[in-house]
Amino acid sequence: MAHRNEEEGSIGTSMHGVTAKEHVFSFSDQGEDAWSSHSVQSDDPTAMFAFPVDSEHKAKVFKPLSFAKPHMRAFHLGWISFFTCFISTFAAAPLVPIIRDNLDLTKTDIGNAGVASVSGAIFSRLAMGAVCDLLGARYGTAFLLMLSAPAVFSMSFVADAGGYLSVRFMIGFCLATFVSCSYWTSVMFTGKIIGLVNGCAGGWGDMGGGVTQLLMPMVFHIIKVAGATPFTAWRIAFFIPGFLQVIMGILVLTLGQDFPDGNLSTLQKKGDVSKDKLTKVFWYALRNYRTYVLFILYGFSMGIEMTINNVISEYFFDRFQLELHTAGMIAASFGMANFFARPIGGFASDVSARFFGMRGRLWTLWILQTSGGLFCVWLGRATSLPIAILAMMLFSFGVQAACGAIFGIVPFVSRRSLGIISGLTGAGGNFGSGLTQLPFFSSSRFHTADGLSLMGITAMIFTLLVAFIHFPQWGSMFLGPTSDNRTSKEEHYYVAEWTEEEKLQGLHEGSLKFAENSRSERGKKAAPDGTSTPLENENPANV
Amino acid sequence: MAIHKIILASFLVYLMIQFSHGATKERLFSDLEKDALDVTAKPSRQGVLDAGIDKLSITWKLSSTAKKQANFKTIKVKLCYAPVSQVDRPWRKTENELFKDKTCPHKIITRAYNKSSQSFKYTLDRDIPTGTYFVRTYAVDAKDHEVAFGQSTNEAKTTNLFSVQAISGRHKSLDIASVCFSVFSVLALLVFFVNEKRKAKLEQSK
Repeated sequence: MAHRNEEEGSIGTSMHGVTAKEHVFSFSDQGEDAWSSHSVQSDDPTAMFAFPVDSEHKAKVFKPLSFAKPHMRAFHLGWISFFTCFISTFAAAPLVPIIRDNLDLTKTDIGNAGVASVSGAIFSRLAMGAVCDLLGARYGTAFLLMLSAPAVFSMSFVADAGGYLSVRFMIGFCLATFVSCSYWTSVMFTGKIIGLVNGCAGGWGDMGGGVTQLLMPMVFHIIKVAGATPFTAWRIAFFIPGFLQVIMGILVLTLGQDFPDGNLSTLQKKGDVSKDKLTKVFWYALRNYRTYVLFILYGFSMGIEMTINNVISEYFFDRFQLELHTAGMIAASFGMANFFARPIGGFASDVSARFFGMRGRLWTLWILQTSGGLFCVWLGRATSLPIAILAMMLFSFGVQAACGAIFGIVPFVSRRSLGIISGLTGAGGNFGSGLTQLPFFSSSRFHTADGLSLMGITAMIFTLLVAFIHFPQWGSMFLGPTSDNRTSKEEHYYVAEWTEEEKLQGLHEGSLKFAENSRSERGKKAAPDGTSTPLENENPANV
Repeated sequence: MAIHKIILASFLVYLMIQFSHGATKERLFSDLEKDALDVTAKPSRQGVLDAGIDKLSITWKLSSTAKKQANFKTIKVKLCYAPVSQVDRPWRKTENELFKDKTCPHKIITRAYNKSSQSFKYTLDRDIPTGTYFVRTYAVDAKDHEVAFGQSTNEAKTTNLFSVQAISGRHKSLDIASVCFSVFSVLALLVFFVNEKRKAKLEQSK
């Protein structure tokens, strides 16, 4: 395995070994040459960037404290947009004790609205990849932010359970910013560091679900102190996430840039780059059984995380008789652990891959997600506040790190359909959230505490599905790679996604390159022919 | 992340302090003396009352059957949910343990105990939710422990109930502001979009 330097870029490079040509959500995947022939002509293109870039002008380093155009700026605009959408989607949750009195909601109403809040994004996340291809990452993001802002503002009109549910449903569509953010970072950052970059963007964006539990009760309290009655104050409080969305939308459009070389509309990108056919890409994604397994698995890590964002504040408020803002602060700690938990999950996945290859990644995922489920059971059983908080923190670490670990595996499931599979996995998160909220938290059948424990048990059961993810070339949790000489090659797996005619046209070249680089997933037993990571060896000083 | 840990630690300490005055944990509602006080609650008008506007005339006096009146120090008058308003709403559940019981969350008034008949005209607060209610008075001793109670309804909580309609919390000015900002958001997006398309067309035609 090639030596990794100790810059930030070396942590969590879950795309380790992937070629720098990785377009996560673009269908156009010709090769290095086709792409660079379409970049803006200039005498020394790389000189005008603040960071070292590759031949696609994607940044090769990741410096979180910088806001330099265009790469780091895109990163920050991307994750903050995603963060803002998380704030809006879960803004109602910490205020439910007030809202339920104002609108005369039952537990069923509250639960259904919670399901609705995460359901919209199942579809918007699926569509977002194509939208970004059509409009570019900036407009993709800005559309989500600025078209869902009216939904946030319309909380002021809500008068009953039906209205509450509709508004939460419409706000929830903006969670597709997860996809637009990943798309944007993937066109801005090179494949070797994209794992870390996406892990940070994903984790820091998810933090919004925690911050909102603090922000909304605080805003509510200030508005109440300023003289409004509670039933008006919570409505005014919703203007804050609304404003944030509009402001971010404008910032994205004015400060951001679609590609390292410019915006989509000014670049002559649509020249002779042949786009892959959407139907084909979809078909190969659907044919691969691992897609479904990942869909379910993410549903029980990210899905559970979103469910908790919806129920945990009310849970602490009711069960331990806390003040609204106290319950909010505890609930916030859950979401805020994302700041480090998700990147650590990605890092753990990468480290285990160094020694044990893909099998290490699978075991890491299973361990993290199962412990998350276990601590969720404990959280439901805890009757004293300090124990509940401890269980909650351990639980948060487990599931959030599992989210990071899953995206350490996703890039290897398919080369041709990577974008769709990432989108589908993301959608699975929302689906899982709806799926867990419906039976466990939307009726008076279970006490919320029992709902939590049952959800944890269900998560542990479904996480066993990790054992079924098997790669012929690398093996699975319990089985080694096949001994068949032909199918145990990475090339066989990735080239199988192309038909003979397509291979004749040479469309599979990218997959071949990718296959070669993915030999690193064999772990320490990577072929000693020394070609496991040719691109890394080329630039040892820069990850 | 050190800050994060410090905040969490100080919270744990704060909450443990808050939580540790649980001396009332094991005291049960069923231990209280029933019907120690005769309570009546008369709405100011017929039909569903409006929160923030309508009033209740509440009177309470010592019942002839009361025994523990020597301990009565203060009387706490509270607004309580009738069973119909507790359905599918576990946060309003009636529990026997007094500290867990959520039946009567709304305080009306607290007065020192007086043998003679007391009355109070209560204007429904603006944060009272929509629901069906009755009034209960708790007699509390010097240690702030409930000793007895009386309520304006029968034991099954089916008689003499009254309904309240909450304020909506909506305001015309809020609605207008909401529409304005929504329109601004959509318009701004369109303006940017159209502008950029126009610029791109100009560039291409050059």
